[in-house]
Amino acid sequence: MSPSSLSMDVLRDVVEQLPDDALSASRLAALEHLNKYGLPTTRDEDWKYTDLTQIIDVSNRWLNSKRESSSSAKTQALIDEIRNSIEADWLVVTDGQLDAQSIDEFARSSEPGVRISLLSDSAQGISFDAPLSDLNAALLQDGLRIHVAKDVALARPVGILFVDNADASPGMTQTRIEIELAVGSDATFIEYHASIGADDHYSNAVGNLLVGDNAHANYVRIQDRGLSHKHTNRMSIRCGRDSKLNHCAFDIGGGFVRNDIVIDIAEPGSCIVFDGLYLVGNGQHIDNHTRADHRVGPAESHQEYRGILAGQARAVWNGKAIVHKGADGTDAEQSNHNLLLSEKCEVDAKPELEIYADDVKCSHGTTVGQLDETALFYLRTRGISRHAAKQMLTSAFAQTIVGKSPIHAEGDRVGARVAQRLDQMMQGVNT
Amino acid sequence: MLEIKDLKASIGGTEILRGLSLSANAGEVHAIMGPNGSGKSTLAQVIAGHEDYEVTAGSVTFKGENLLELAPEERAREGIFLGFQYPVEIAGVNNAYLLKAAVNAKRKHQGLGEIDAFEFLKLAKEKMALLGMDQKFLHRGVNEGFSGGEKKRNEILQMAMLEPCLAILDETDSGLDIDALRAVAEGVNSLRSPDRAIILVTHYQRLLDYIEPDHVHVLSDGRIARSGDKSLALALEEKGYDWIREAANE
Repeated sequence: MSPSSLSMDVLRDVVEQLPDDALSASRLAALEHLNKYGLPTTRDEDWKYTDLTQIIDVSNRWLNSKRESSSSAKTQALIDEIRNSIEADWLVVTDGQLDAQSIDEFARSSEPGVRISLLSDSAQGISFDAPLSDLNAALLQDGLRIHVAKDVALARPVGILFVDNADASPGMTQTRIEIELAVGSDATFIEYHASIGADDHYSNAVGNLLVGDNAHANYVRIQDRGLSHKHTNRMSIRCGRDSKLNHCAFDIGGGFVRNDIVIDIAEPGSCIVFDGLYLVGNGQHIDNHTRADHRVGPAESHQEYRGILAGQARAVWNGKAIVHKGADGTDAEQSNHNLLLSEKCEVDAKPELEIYADDVKCSHGTTVGQLDETALFYLRTRGISRHAAKQMLTSAFAQTIVGKSPIHAEGDRVGARVAQRLDQMMQGVNT
Repeated sequence: MLEIKDLKASIGGTEILRGLSLSANAGEVHAIMGPNGSGKSTLAQVIAGHEDYEVTAGSVTFKGENLLELAPEERAREGIFLGFQYPVEIAGVNNAYLLKAAVNAKRKHQGLGEIDAFEFLKLAKEKMALLGMDQKFLHRGVNEGFSGGEKKRNEILQMAMLEPCLAILDETDSGLDIDALRAVAEGVNSLRSPDRAIILVTHYQRLLDYIEPDHVHVLSDGRIARSGDKSLALALEEKGYDWIREAANE
C-alpha cells in the first residue's frame, strides 16, 4: 500500500465496529463509495493545490491507534469561554461526540419553533456524494438535525460549537449537521470550530443547509482551530424560491484547511451573499472552494472573499459560478482580494465563470497585492509609526469582511480573534 | 525654523532638486510657485521624508536639528505637517480613529497622556464647523469617496487638530471651487501664528488672494530662481513663468 492512500482494511473494521443503528446502512454504502472512488489527488482539478497526504497520514495513524478521545478540563474551559462570549443557544459537539447535556439544555431553553434531533433518530440516511463526505458518512457516529418551523423567526442565533482535543495521540473526528429552515422562517446560525492541544488532529465536517421558500438565513462559520490541526469542511446549500441567505466564513486558525461551499439555486428569486476572510500565517495552508449553480433566474449571488497572508503561507481561492441554460436574469458577482505581507507567501486565486444563459449580469475580480506604500507614507506623515500604520491598513482590509458578518458587533469575539491573530502574524513579518 | 541649504534630491536616478536653498522662520507664510516639473512637490515630499527620494547633497535643519535623519513619523511628531496634493483614500480606517491616533502619537512624543475622548470630539467638531465640514465625515473611511474639496478640507482638519510648527500645503487649492477655496483659506488663516511657519506650494496666484504670503519664491529647474514679496506672485500672473526662466538663463 502506498503511503498516500487510506488503510481501507482497518477503516472497514472500524466502521463495522460502530453501533448498529439507523445510520449503519449509510455507513457501509459510504465505505463502498470511498473504496470505489478513493480520495482526490492533486491530479483532480479541484484539488490541484491541496494535497491530502497529510490528512491521509493522520487518518491512518488514528485508525491504527487506540482511538481514544480524552476530553479535559481545558476543553470545558474553552467551551465556556466561547459560549459566554457569543450570544446564542448553543449545541456542543466535543471530539465528534454530541454533548447530550447541551442538547437537553437547548431543548429546554431554546425558542419555540426550533427542533433538534439526531441523525440516527431517522431512517432517511445521509448523503456522501462528494470527496471526504463519504469518509465522513462511513465513520460518522451521529450528527445533528436542526429544523426551524414554518414562519418562525428566531430572535437568538443557534450556535453549534465543535471542539476537539488534540492534547495527545493522533485524532480524527467526523461531524455532520443538517439544517432546514421551513417556508417563511428566519434564523441565524453560528458554526464554530475550535480546538485545544498541539498534536496532530484531523476533523472532517459536513453540513447541509436548506433555506426554504421565502425563508431568511444568516450563517456564520468560524474556523479557529490550532495551527497543527487539519480541517476539511463541506457545506451544501439549497435555496428555495425568494429566499435570502447571508453567509460569512472566517478562517482564523487551522494548519491545513480545505473548505467547500456548494450552493444550489434551483428556484427563482433568491439572493445569496457569501463573504469570507482567511488569515494565513507562516506554515499554514488554507483552501476555499466555492461553487454557485444558478439553475434558474432571476436570482442573485454576491461573493467577496479576502485573505491576508504572512510568512511562508499558502492560500487557495477558487470561486466558481455556473449560470445554467435558461437561468436568465441571473446576477452573479464574485471578488477575491489578497493582501500579502511577505515575499514568501503564495496565493492561487481562480475565479471561474461559466455562462450558458443569455440575459445575465456576471462579474468577477481578483487582486493580489501588498500594503499600499502611498497609504503607509500618508499615515506616517500623521505621526503613526510604520508598524502601527501597517497594522491599521491590514486590520482595515480585514474589517471589510468582519463588518459584513451578520453577527458583527463592536468588540465581539470574532473581531477580537481576528485582531489577535493578525497581531501574531505581523509580529513575524515586521521589518 | 526651517533651513534648507543647497539641497539636491533625485528619484529613480533623475535629479529633481538641484541646489535649493530656503529658510522659513516662525510666523512667516511662504508661497512656492513654479511651473509643472520645477520640483515643488518634490520639495514638499523630501521635507516630509518620502523614502523614494534620495537626498544627494545639501542639508535640511528643522528647529536646529538635522531633519534628514528622521523617519516621516518622527518629523510629524516634531511638528511638521504635509497637506497632500492628492490625499490618500484609506478604506476601512475611520477618519476619527486616524485623527485620534495622530493626535495621540504626537502627545505621547511630547510626554503627554492620551487625549480625553470627550475633549477630542469637542475639538474635532469645533474645527469641522470652522471648515464647513459635516460631522458625518468623522465616521467615514479616511477620504473614502470624498470629493476633491472634501479631501482638501479633511487635510486642513488634520492640520488644525495636529497644530504643527511647520505646515507645508501642497497644491491645496487645486481642484477647489470658490466656496471650498474660501473655507480652506479660512482654515489656514486661522492657524497663522507667531509660532508657526506655513509653506504654500501652489500653481496659481488665486490662493494668495485669500492667504497673503510674506514671501514668494519661484522654483525653476529645481532651484529657487527668484524670491520676493507678494507682488512677485502678481507679476508672475501677468508675465507667466517663461519670464522667470528667461531671466534665470540670462
